[in-house]
Amino acid sequence: MSNKEITVLVVDDQADFRRLTTFWLDSKGYATTAAADGKSAIELVKQKKADIIFMDLRMPVMDGVETIKEIRNIDNDIPIIVISAYVDDPKIQEAMQYKISGVFCKSKDSEEQGLSLLESVLRTHKNLKNK
Amino acid sequence: MSFYLTVIYSITALVSILVALLLFNLTKSSARAKIATSQKSKEGNGPDSGVAPQGQGLFDEITEIVDTRPPRDEAVKKIADIFSRELEKKVNLNTQELSRKYEGVINEAKQNEEIAWKKYKKILTLKEKTEAVLHSVAEGLVVVDSQGKVIMMNPAAEKLLGVSKKNKLGKPLLENLREEQLVSLIKGGQDQEEKEIELISQLDETKKTLRASSAVIENESGQTVGMVSVLSDITKQKELDRMKSSFVANVSHELRTPLVAIEKSLFLILEKSAGEVSPTQEEFLTIATKNLKRLSLLINDLLDLSKLEAGKLEFRPQLSSIEKIIDESIEALNNWARTKSVIIKKKITLGVPPVNVDANRIIQVLNNLIGNAIKFTPQGGTICIEVKHANENSKIQVSVEDTGLGIAKESLEKIFDKFFQASERVASDISGTGIGLSISKEIVTLHGGRIWAESEAGQGAKFKFTLPLVKDAQ
Repeated sequence: MSNKEITVLVVDDQADFRRLTTFWLDSKGYATTAAADGKSAIELVKQKKADIIFMDLRMPVMDGVETIKEIRNIDNDIPIIVISAYVDDPKIQEAMQYKISGVFCKSKDSEEQGLSLLESVLRTHKNLKNK
Repeated sequence: MSFYLTVIYSITALVSILVALLLFNLTKSSARAKIATSQKSKEGNGPDSGVAPQGQGLFDEITEIVDTRPPRDEAVKKIADIFSRELEKKVNLNTQELSRKYEGVINEAKQNEEIAWKKYKKILTLKEKTEAVLHSVAEGLVVVDSQGKVIMMNPAAEKLLGVSKKNKLGKPLLENLREEQLVSLIKGGQDQEEKEIELISQLDETKKTLRASSAVIENESGQTVGMVSVLSDITKQKELDRMKSSFVANVSHELRTPLVAIEKSLFLILEKSAGEVSPTQEEFLTIATKNLKRLSLLINDLLDLSKLEAGKLEFRPQLSSIEKIIDESIEALNNWARTKSVIIKKKITLGVPPVNVDANRIIQVLNNLIGNAIKFTPQGGTICIEVKHANENSKIQVSVEDTGLGIAKESLEKIFDKFFQASERVASDISGTGIGLSISKEIVTLHGGRIWAESEAGQGAKFKFTLPLVKDAQ
């Protein structure tokens, strides 16, 4: 079963990081879609364009926590992995209230760690990997 | 007829004899009564004793008058008695009234005294409390009168200044502080509220920095009667500030070295000096270069800020045209503005004289302000730079106005703080170090000017700063 059947939504306001993350996921065989802000991310979730979300927490206008809260009103099941610039960001605790599947730290975790986190989340969530 | 006449004469004679006899008797008994009355009055005492002599005097007087008519003696005595009784009554009444009044006055006085005593006690307790508080505060407290002579100081102040209260009371505060002891009275003249005092301790020759915050004491009519100063030891704080500044400076230098190496390597790969590069590789290398540039900007800013704070940044002021400075800044940023279709306009009042500034530093301020304006102005917006006279021609005012999101009122003060970013202003892909405005503030302040922001959320932002004009140049 190819990873291409699984679409990862990358939500980050930094274009560089968006580009790098989607390229990396592409290279690992995932389909990707990206959003620069919370509103477009919610739109994509509504359209069922994503199977799993990589969500940056610090964004202007509508931050990650607010976006997750909104997404949970639409889809209570979609796995969300939170991306954070640093490990002890208090926003992570805030996000925890809305059922998140994991935390990926931009500065600390290596790409490989990110990938294995993604894999395990996919496995535990409704066996998405095997659908 | 003659018989009748004879009878009448005889009767008249008889009556005359009888009357003469009666008068003789009356005179005798009157004399007796006189003696009895005087004796009675002599024996008399008690409350009416003061009245009797007066009554006696009257009686005597009356008696003297009527003595020539002895038969009235008895009546006179009675009259005198009644008179003296009435007088006695009146006097008694008066005395009672007086003593009542007297008692009232005494009571009132007693009450007043009690109230005064209570008040005094209360004030005494308050005074004791205040003194206890003043004694126990860690900050030094010195009160001087209008001549600057010490009228009060607490133990903490004695300790901080290394003086004793006994020697200081009634003398100017800084008199007799040994010359080598008082190094300097820096930052602020007579009229400023905060002063820093540097002292060299007599014991161990270590330098001590005190901060004196003073407030003028005024009496009810607004006259200055003295000044209260609070002294606190800020030696440690000063030392920490110095250490922090030198740490930041060192770290920034250390960071710059590897950055330069990375920058050069990336440049060489991108230039394809090291061989062919695929388009994707080129793209990522460009991302790396761009972010590296941002990082070095941040480090430069940090370095600038630490230098500014440490007072180590060198200024090379020279008379410069503000218009040229603005043109230079616009030139540097116009390309960026064009990518967003943002128009930069300038409006300069004719005849603005040159300013004595370090042009490069003012360009740095303008780059920051105009750069911010471009960042926060949406596509097709306008940025207006205006120069005009301010403060009755003693200063010029430069303002940078954008048509962006604006700044919330509560953030207007904070935006000049280090690393503050009004979150709602940080739109997508806006990169800022968060210290640009802090640096701008330092630079403007060091030039003797002032910088501030005016805005209402959603209505664009106005950043304004002033620069003093040199008098000769006007």
